[in-house]
Amino acid sequence: MNVGWTLVALAGVWGGLVAVERKAFLQAMFSRPLVAATAMGLLLNDVPSGLFIGMLLELFHLGTANLGASLPDNDTLSATGTSAAAATMAVATGAGSTPALWSLSILLFVGLARVGLLVDRVLERYSARLARKALASAEAGQLTRAMRQNLWGMWPHFALFGMITAACALAGFFLGPLLERLPLPVLRGLAWAYPAMASVAASIAARGSHARRAPMYAGLGAGAVTLAVLLFTLKERL
Amino acid sequence: MSVVGPPLTRRVLVHVFLRSLFLQASWNPQGMQNLGLAYALYPALERLYPDKQALETAVRRHLVFFNTHPYVAAAIVGGVLYHEQRIARGEESPERVVAFKAALMGPLAALGDGFFWLSLKPATGAVCAALVPLLAAWAAVLFLILYNLVHLTLRARLYLLGLSLGDRLVEAVARANLPTRGAKLRAVAAACAGGLAAWLAVSFGDNAGGRFAPLLSAGCLALGVVSYLLVARQVPNYVVLYLAAGLACAAGAFL
Repeated sequence: MNVGWTLVALAGVWGGLVAVERKAFLQAMFSRPLVAATAMGLLLNDVPSGLFIGMLLELFHLGTANLGASLPDNDTLSATGTSAAAATMAVATGAGSTPALWSLSILLFVGLARVGLLVDRVLERYSARLARKALASAEAGQLTRAMRQNLWGMWPHFALFGMITAACALAGFFLGPLLERLPLPVLRGLAWAYPAMASVAASIAARGSHARRAPMYAGLGAGAVTLAVLLFTLKERL
Repeated sequence: MSVVGPPLTRRVLVHVFLRSLFLQASWNPQGMQNLGLAYALYPALERLYPDKQALETAVRRHLVFFNTHPYVAAAIVGGVLYHEQRIARGEESPERVVAFKAALMGPLAALGDGFFWLSLKPATGAVCAALVPLLAAWAAVLFLILYNLVHLTLRARLYLLGLSLGDRLVEAVARANLPTRGAKLRAVAAACAGGLAAWLAVSFGDNAGGRFAPLLSAGCLALGVVSYLLVARQVPNYVVLYLAAGLACAAGAFL
C-alpha cells in the first residue's frame, strides 16, 4: 500500500490550524465542521467527502456551544479527523468518493469529538500553569515575559490536534483496502446509512437550534421541502 | 502621582484590538481570560504608564479573574482603555476600572452567548448546510462570509463603543436588541434543519435506494422524526446516530 505522506502532513497542518482558531485565536468559524471538513477535502483532493461529511457533522454538532467554563464536544476534531480519513480512504481505494465511504468514516471517527474534549481538559491544566507563571513573572517585574505566556497557550493545540488529525489521515490509507474487501450487501447497507444518519443529524440540529417552537418550525421546513419535491416529481412525470 | 504618558494613538488602539483576538489563547479554569486580557491591554498600558512601578500595578489589576464572551469582550477592552486613560490622567481611581469589568463581564457574557453561540452560529450553520445541495463547496464560503460579516462588524463596533462611551456602552448595547434578533435566528435554524432533513431523506434515499428508493426515503423521514423525539427525551445524540446507521445498514444489506 502507498501512503501519501504529503496528504498526511497537509491534514495535520490544517487540523492543527483550525484547532487553534477554534478557541485560542479569532474564532471566525473556520473550525466549524462545514468549513473545516470542506477545506480538508479541498486540500486532500476530495471535495465531495469533505463537503458531505462536513454538512452532516455541522448538523450533528449544531447545538454545541462553549458556554462559560463548560467544555463541549470537540466538533472540529471530529470534522477534520473524519474528513481526512475519508479522503485518504478514497485515495487508497482508487474508486473515488462514495456515500458508503462517508458512512464508514463517520461511524469510525465521529467519536473523536469526545477524544478532543478530553484533550481540551488536559490543555486547560497546561494553560493554568502558564497563567501561574505569568503571575509570578509579573510579581517579579518581568512584564514582557508575563505577557508572552499568553501566546504559549496556543502551540499545544496546534501540535496535539494536528497529530491526531494526521493519524486519522494515515489510518485512512490502511482502512481503504479493507473497505474494498467488504461484501456487496454491507457496502449497500453503508450507502443507505448516509441518508439515514444525515436525516438524524438534521433532526438533532432542529432540536439543537434552541428555538422556542423548534418542532413547529422544523415541521414547516420539512413539509415545505417535501411538498416542493413531490410537486417537482409530479411535474416531471406529467 | 506618577508620570502621565501620552494619549493613545490610533496605532496603539488598533494594536490592542488585534491582540484582543488572542483573548482565549491561554484560557484556564482559574483566571479564565485574565492572561488574554492583560496581553491585549499591554501596549496601551505601556504607553499610558511610562513609570515602571505604575505599569506593573496596572498590569497586575488586569491579571485577576476575567471571563466573558470572546466577541463582546471587545466592548470591555474598549471600556477598560477609556477608564485607564482617565486613571492615568488622575481623573478617577483604579477601583473604577475593576468595578467596570466586574459589573459588565457577566451580563455581556450572557448576551454574547445567547446571540452568537446559541443563535447566529446555529442559524448560519443550518442555512448554509441547507444550501449545500445548491451551492456545493461554496456553501462553506458563504458560511464564513455571512457569519463574519456580523461577527467582525459587531466586534469592531463594540470596541469603539467601549472606547468612546465607557460605562454608557450598556445603553448602546441594549439598543441593539440582540435577544429578539437571536430568537428570530433560532427559528430560521430550526426551519432550515427541518427542510434539510426532508431533502436529504428524499434525495439521497432516491440516489442510494434503487428500486427501494421510496422505502428508504420514507424510512429516513421516519427516522428523522423518531430521532427528534429520542433526543428530546435525553437519549444521547451518538446513540441515536449509531442506531439509525445500524438500522439502515441492516435494511440495505438484507433487503
